[in-house]
Amino acid sequence: MVTVADFNGTVKPDWCPACGNFAQLSAIKAVLAELGIEPHNTVVVSGIGCSSNLPEFIKAYGFHGLHGRALPVASAVKWANPKLTVIAYGGDGDGFFEGTQHFYHTAKRNVDITYIVSDNQIFGLTTGQASPTSEIGFKSKTTPYGNIEEPTNPLTFGLAAGATFVARGFSGDPKHLNEIIKRGIQHRGFSFIDVMSPCVTFNKLNTYDYFRKRVYKYEAKDLTDFSAAYKISQEWGDKIPIGIFYEKTERSYIDMDPVASQTPMIDIEPVKLNEKLVEEFL
Amino acid sequence: MSKEEVVIRIGGAAGEGVQSAGSVVAKSFSRTGLSVMTYNYYQDIVRGGQSWYQVRASHNKVRSQGDGLDVLIALNMDALVRHTNPEINEGGASPLSGIAIFDTSLTGYKKQDKVIYCPVPLSEIAGKHSKVSLVKNTVAIGAAMASIGMSFDVVADVIRDQFGGKGEVAEQNVSAAKEGYDYFTQNFKKLDKSLNFTNKKKYLLGGGEAVGLGAVNGGLRMYIGYPMTPASSALHYISSHAKDFNLFVKVPEDEISAINMAIGANYAGLRAMTGSSGGGFSLMVEALGMAGMLEIPLVVYEAQRSGPSTGLPTKTEQGDLNLVLGASQGDFPRIVLAPRNVYDTFLLTREAMNLAEKYQTPVIVMSDLYLAEHLETVDKFDFNFKIDHGLRAQDNMKNYKRYEYTESGISPRAIPGQPGLMHNEDSDEHSESGDVVSDAETDPKLRIAIMEKRMRKLNSYIKEMPPTDTYRLDDAEYAIVQWGSTQGVVEEAVDILRNKGIKAGVIEINRVFPLNPDIAGLLKNRKKIVVVENNFTGQFNRLLKSEFLVSTSLIRKFDGEAFYPGALAEELEQEIKR
Repeated sequence: MVTVADFNGTVKPDWCPACGNFAQLSAIKAVLAELGIEPHNTVVVSGIGCSSNLPEFIKAYGFHGLHGRALPVASAVKWANPKLTVIAYGGDGDGFFEGTQHFYHTAKRNVDITYIVSDNQIFGLTTGQASPTSEIGFKSKTTPYGNIEEPTNPLTFGLAAGATFVARGFSGDPKHLNEIIKRGIQHRGFSFIDVMSPCVTFNKLNTYDYFRKRVYKYEAKDLTDFSAAYKISQEWGDKIPIGIFYEKTERSYIDMDPVASQTPMIDIEPVKLNEKLVEEFL
Repeated sequence: MSKEEVVIRIGGAAGEGVQSAGSVVAKSFSRTGLSVMTYNYYQDIVRGGQSWYQVRASHNKVRSQGDGLDVLIALNMDALVRHTNPEINEGGASPLSGIAIFDTSLTGYKKQDKVIYCPVPLSEIAGKHSKVSLVKNTVAIGAAMASIGMSFDVVADVIRDQFGGKGEVAEQNVSAAKEGYDYFTQNFKKLDKSLNFTNKKKYLLGGGEAVGLGAVNGGLRMYIGYPMTPASSALHYISSHAKDFNLFVKVPEDEISAINMAIGANYAGLRAMTGSSGGGFSLMVEALGMAGMLEIPLVVYEAQRSGPSTGLPTKTEQGDLNLVLGASQGDFPRIVLAPRNVYDTFLLTREAMNLAEKYQTPVIVMSDLYLAEHLETVDKFDFNFKIDHGLRAQDNMKNYKRYEYTESGISPRAIPGQPGLMHNEDSDEHSESGDVVSDAETDPKLRIAIMEKRMRKLNSYIKEMPPTDTYRLDDAEYAIVQWGSTQGVVEEAVDILRNKGIKAGVIEINRVFPLNPDIAGLLKNRKKIVVVENNFTGQFNRLLKSEFLVSTSLIRKFDGEAFYPGALAEELEQEIKR
């Protein structure tokens, strides 16, 4: 029997009080316990940013790597040992600026991992600069006259890239967030969850109140309907949908690999070289 | 030129089948027990331009592409003029002094004194056997092999293999080659050579393939690479054998992803490596330091080509040493190996797999285009090798500390999936247990302790380094220092000097960093120390001088081509007498 307490780390989170990351940390721990996934079979890989400190605060195998590079590390961990539950975690700067190419290709490959982005629409760790999801007109240390660049739409991007599970959560609705993360971890293939996660220190625009006024729970009629998913992903403004936008079961990358699809790589003995294997050079 | 060796060169335009003809010639020699080395001169184009492929063979050990040229197969007029002209010296290659084989349709060329012109109706003969125009190359190969007295049966077998067995195409080529062989025998006199052909086949392979074989012998399970000349020869070999070797092979979106994937797999307990040339390696730099910080084993294959930037994509250089030594911010232990030849590439890549896991740190295997793309014979492979996974933590170990301070600097590794050993691996500075200490809790004493722990691993490695190899050094007044792929050329140059009574010897460096302290003794009491390397600034020379506080002279080459023994011997002699 796995409990939430089994995932309690010894290091206290260094996030600001009321940071949206807390709800996600709690949700991840609760879901893992609920699904009976043991801490030693859990790997949490992150990049760099406030949210990316998360692996330090959970008792599991944590990997706190480089800015933007969580996904290639997480992919290879899963390819090496598919028995592990692999969660990649990071912020919007980490995932949609520095790591965009990895986001696109990991989604396209349908690697069987869960990618949770704590999207606070700002750089927090570096003390408040506009991020790829900052809104037009948003003022920050680096955009004192207001942001002039169109924000990235991570959900549309995830869908276009070929993610087989695309969802949006909100840190202000933990119960709903738990459910989405649970479904994401259960999904076989690449699950992408963008979590609206207010930065209480540096983002005075996209606050809990901002989202509470706007979010509503979206229920898809047909989760495999790509056009409907695309349409709902485009909705942003006075109303912001949260929920699962798209889910489709397709073979994950490892199912197609000529070698790894047969036996988990970690269980395959290395080949013993012999003269037959070098005969082609004679 | 010695009767005991032969050099054959095929010259033509890209797309004219130069390389494939060259490999038939090379294989014919390796199958008759000769020691072989090939040299490939080509450009970054698919059609046109001027390329050539040289094969040197002897029953004595061949250590470089060599000087001199006995037989030229000229596939067009440009090649015939270029390679027979004593004035033209492309990157050090010798003009022809021997037999030129070319199509009878080529006329009006200026005759050179040292050339025996042997026109053969290549296209006409080819037309009798096949509609494919490239069959004329096969006719030329037949003629060339007749000119040096090789038995036709051997050539026929190699051609059959090249064309996939005994099908119609293969037989057309064999009969075309036979007619070329007979035409030469009936019309011209063969060269006066005494090569000892035997039936003891040798292996013939390139440095890229040796990287693959070495890695697999060293327990490789996953190779992640992004195509870039000249690292691609390893990627191709490994990819084409993924099923034979039970490997997971992946070309991801970029080299940054490649190295992060290789690190992820090693973290998960699966031996993985990545590879690229300097451009791709530059992209890997940040993650290389992460592997050092997290103490995750990692092998990176770095195959140099002429830089800077895109540089000369199909030309050789040893210009990435500074990059490799300095790659990534901060100090962390790294091991840099630079194999000297094809078999050394096999041995050192294999060893790199163990070293990375034993010392839980990045190991970089440096090759270059010259070594990665030429073919060389290997008499025998010794596959006997024990895989060492290094220090591993036991499941549920009490008070487990991932970065426990030890005298060797090596701490027990836990692999995800092992119960009771959960911890965080952090690119931030961390404590023994892996907890971050970089921000609020920065502790100077702890920082010193963990830095010293990591760096201690290098001292442990230095203690197990084998003695540095030398060549004719014992009584040498002049020490020539080489690193990596220049071994064969430098040894041959030293033989030339020795024949002139100059007492020179070679210090051969295939473990570039850290340098073996025993080199200090080898450098002692020499009249002169000369460093030879393929780059502009003398990157290794600087390292050697700073490590051993010696004064040296430097011989460089940075025209994109390898050194040649004769030309190098002249330069060395001048330098020694200066």
